[in-house]
Amino acid sequence: MYTETLPLTFSPKMKAGHLIAKAILMIGLITPVIADDHWAYQPIQNPTPPASGSQNPIDAFVLAKLKEANFKPSPEAPPHILLRRAHLDLTGLPPTPEEMTAFQKAWKTDPQSAWADKVDALLGSPHFGEQWAKHWLDIARYAESDGYLGDTLRHWAWIYRDWVINSINSDQPFDQFSIEQLAGDLLPNASQSQKIATGFHRNNLKNTEAGLDKELARTKQVVDRAATTGNAWLGLTMACAECHDHKHDAISHEEFFQFYAFFNNTKDSDISVKLDKEWPITTIEKKKDEKEPSKPTPKAQALSILPEKEWRKTHVHIRGDYTRHGEEVTPGVPAAMHPLTIAEGEPPRLALARWLFADDNPLTPRVTVNQIWQKLFGTGIVATPDDFGTHGARPSHPLLLDWLASSFRDSGWSRKKLIREIVMSDTYRQSSTNTYPDRPNDLLWRQNSVRVNAETVRDIHLVASGLFTPTVGGPSVHPPLPSFVSDVGRSVKWPESKGPNRYRRGMYIFLKRTVLYPMLTAFDAPDTSSSCSRREVTNTPMQALTLLNDPVFFECADALGKELYRKHGDDADAAITDTFQRCLNRDPNPGELATLSSAHYDLLDESKNPELAMIATTRVIMNLNEFITRD
Amino acid sequence: MASRRRFLSSGIGSLALASMLRDDGLLADDSFQAPHFAPKAKRCIYLFMEGGPSQMDLFDPKPKLNEMDGQAMPESLLEGVKFAFTEKETARLLGSPRTFKKYGQCGMDMSDLLPHLSDHADDIALIRSMYCDQFNHLPGQLLMLTGTPFRGAPTLGSWLNYGLGSSSKDLPGYVAMTTLGRGLPGGAASWSSGFLPSNYSGALFRNEGSPVLNLANPDKISPEMQRRTIEAVNDLNRQRFSETANPEIASRIKNYELAYRMQSAAPELIDLSDETEATKEAYGLNREDKTGFQASYARNCLLARRLVERGTRFVTLFLSTWDQHSKLDSELAKNAKISDQPVAALLQDLKDRGLLDETLVVWGGEFGRTPLGENRSGFKTVTGRDHHPYSFSMWMAGGGIKGGQTLGSTDEIGWGVEKDPVHIHDLHATILHLFGFDHEELTYRFQGRDFRLTDVHGKVVKKLLA
Repeated sequence: MYTETLPLTFSPKMKAGHLIAKAILMIGLITPVIADDHWAYQPIQNPTPPASGSQNPIDAFVLAKLKEANFKPSPEAPPHILLRRAHLDLTGLPPTPEEMTAFQKAWKTDPQSAWADKVDALLGSPHFGEQWAKHWLDIARYAESDGYLGDTLRHWAWIYRDWVINSINSDQPFDQFSIEQLAGDLLPNASQSQKIATGFHRNNLKNTEAGLDKELARTKQVVDRAATTGNAWLGLTMACAECHDHKHDAISHEEFFQFYAFFNNTKDSDISVKLDKEWPITTIEKKKDEKEPSKPTPKAQALSILPEKEWRKTHVHIRGDYTRHGEEVTPGVPAAMHPLTIAEGEPPRLALARWLFADDNPLTPRVTVNQIWQKLFGTGIVATPDDFGTHGARPSHPLLLDWLASSFRDSGWSRKKLIREIVMSDTYRQSSTNTYPDRPNDLLWRQNSVRVNAETVRDIHLVASGLFTPTVGGPSVHPPLPSFVSDVGRSVKWPESKGPNRYRRGMYIFLKRTVLYPMLTAFDAPDTSSSCSRREVTNTPMQALTLLNDPVFFECADALGKELYRKHGDDADAAITDTFQRCLNRDPNPGELATLSSAHYDLLDESKNPELAMIATTRVIMNLNEFITRD
Repeated sequence: MASRRRFLSSGIGSLALASMLRDDGLLADDSFQAPHFAPKAKRCIYLFMEGGPSQMDLFDPKPKLNEMDGQAMPESLLEGVKFAFTEKETARLLGSPRTFKKYGQCGMDMSDLLPHLSDHADDIALIRSMYCDQFNHLPGQLLMLTGTPFRGAPTLGSWLNYGLGSSSKDLPGYVAMTTLGRGLPGGAASWSSGFLPSNYSGALFRNEGSPVLNLANPDKISPEMQRRTIEAVNDLNRQRFSETANPEIASRIKNYELAYRMQSAAPELIDLSDETEATKEAYGLNREDKTGFQASYARNCLLARRLVERGTRFVTLFLSTWDQHSKLDSELAKNAKISDQPVAALLQDLKDRGLLDETLVVWGGEFGRTPLGENRSGFKTVTGRDHHPYSFSMWMAGGGIKGGQTLGSTDEIGWGVEKDPVHIHDLHATILHLFGFDHEELTYRFQGRDFRLTDVHGKVVKKLLA
């Protein structure tokens, strides 16, 4: 057992809030395990790629391991799979049949340059920023409401979300991207954009229920901010480590509160911002009894530092009880980590942000490249991206991880360069066919087949059907939702979006914590309560029902089926082939064509309506596992 | 154990698959999620009374409090106490207008608001010594439902489905239904699987029409077209599987079959035409009131029985709200009217069908209400009670519970617990025990830690066990 009973006594007459404090701040008695010789805390090597027959360093590392195990890598996937893979991984959107034709043509002339050109084009697409922003927003526990009773809406949270998209699209170096989010307000002459970035730590849950212990609620936020920082950049399992579990090699109780102290003198401040575009206010939800909301001033959620005279001292909270102060502590990092020196006059929170990117920090580069690798292979080199401690998984390819980490750092922290490097490798381009079903794939003898994430399930449907609205950024939207789902919380209504806004990407669906969009939840979108760097991937009957019957997905099948019927009339085989190309980016093989022709025949026979039969046949294809899989 | 945990934490997909295959009898139950000892309870119906029902007006008579009506509370009791709204300096004790009688062979106290439930005094174990440490609704509800006052943890129903799997082949293993006045503070967090995989999440059933979201075919698609569609989907998926050997495809095929079965099982579930008129009348389905809550709650109680009968592991019925800061007398009577008859009928029905022995029924809210009248500023008169976590009442019946007993007691004005205190963690430990689990051993690894429902607390309340 990792847990043990703590010497806590509960008494019915104890001060309200007192015991909660104990319970929560237990969280604060952090003990991520840091053994002195634990791999993750060793300096990053700058390993030379082994001579294993490949010029590409990534492939050299992977091949060396495969050779050791007497395995061979898989052949390259065919070009249509490669194109779909690159589209889905880099932009979260599938290619169109036209893009496929052009790519196949270029591939015939020169596969290598066709691939390189395509990768560069996708890295330059505005949708690249959306896709990779979504990954970051999971880590940032981004949502658009407070989460507790009342679930107050955060109408302008999207300004931060758009900042993330823009930052990634412009390939802002990851160190700047991070420093601005943790301490943008403290940079000299902080710009509007740098202040918006601090919205990162405004995404936490917030309880404002009447009668609440305000200091307790504030303390809880600070704990979350410290823990999320540890999780996102250091792979530390701060939030959840138990206090008495790891008696040796632990960050001490005192050290946790030193880390906590970095965030203890920040203030939530909403700043008026000037947006480059005036957005319609129709997307603002009306309160139940409100007539017409007044024209709002955009206000980004930001952080600022408290005025010096209001500075709080940080104390160790004895047994995690914030009302019981122990020794006073000042901001600092655990002794087991690389040292932090705070320069004269340098705000501690800014110093912490810069410390993450110090040359002698082995964790941040490893954690970050691992997060990115995970998105391109389905599994990280370290399978537990949120836990680089001794209880987490060990890296499958430690040298490769270090090579990636050091080249990421040396490249000036460019995420696009790193992603390009990986995507250009043979390892990435391998076929995902599971030729040896009994053989695990930790050595990467093939690519993994990965079910696309929840938002992409929606996006694929929209793109294939032709309904898709590609607008990037702006206020979130409210696609139709049955009232029994939307009205369950004690908050305001769900103002259904009209027109093209109904067909925006999944990531733009208003993220209200008490009313999570059921389709996204069904496909494992996180509930945004805490930082999430690895989504679960489940496979459930609810997913089948959603794909079959969700009105949005039926609308997609309906739109595509009608168009195909207009185009192909009674030529079912031509229509089936066309649907395959639009949905799966390939031609059906003879067996598939036969199955679908026969299904179409029966569906026509049953419905006596050729257009409906075509819609129903389209719906079959949109329900295939392959449609929501990135092979 | 450690390696097994590692397997669980690293292979969520495989866990889900394993549990699914096990449900279908395709995989021998290898016991890593099986109970630690023989369970007494196999199913649970949790009657969640959102808002905090007033214990001294329902289950815990306080003659002394009635005597002291209008007086200030003893200073010593108020020290360090916080309220949501009450201004404690001027607050006065508020007696109860209810009349109490003793019921059953055991002589259990119940007020005149519970004329039906009182027939079942000998079946239920009344706990008058519940307490917790949360005096706001959502943290209190999350504590009661998930064992922690913060969002993000799995609800009890998710833990039990994770532990035991669903025993229904065609219906969800965990279902939530609502009769809502003001909505639920936690929304979907009230049946969330938290950090457990989402297939352990409760399915929210709607109150009319098709019970599950996306259960009905699109309008234009006839049942035969749906059947043919699923046949073609699975046929094509099989062809793809033979080429790629991607194991997810095998699960997908199975899930389309399950979904199809669910499509016919769920309408059968909500079709009450096979219930006798006597049954419907007993539950009070035909009762009419302005809000429709009486009929809705009665129907939900009947559906709860139909669900557990068909193998659903866990059903939560939310009734909102018991949060009577004002107009306590009339509002409490209204809630009692909505729920008393159907709940009593449910107990009787489960008993008649031989289901009660293995079905645990739990009744309760997130906390109780103050013996003080609520005098929040702006209130002209004092007609209600504030939130009170220091003592409250709940009851359980069936599923290995020793009925016909009243456990614990409160002091003479009903402020604090005097005897046999039961914290929410203890309640959870006891419930898991009834289902065959040692609450310290049912764990799930998340973000580097093994989590349990009871965190680092909880003691099984032995007196409650049959």
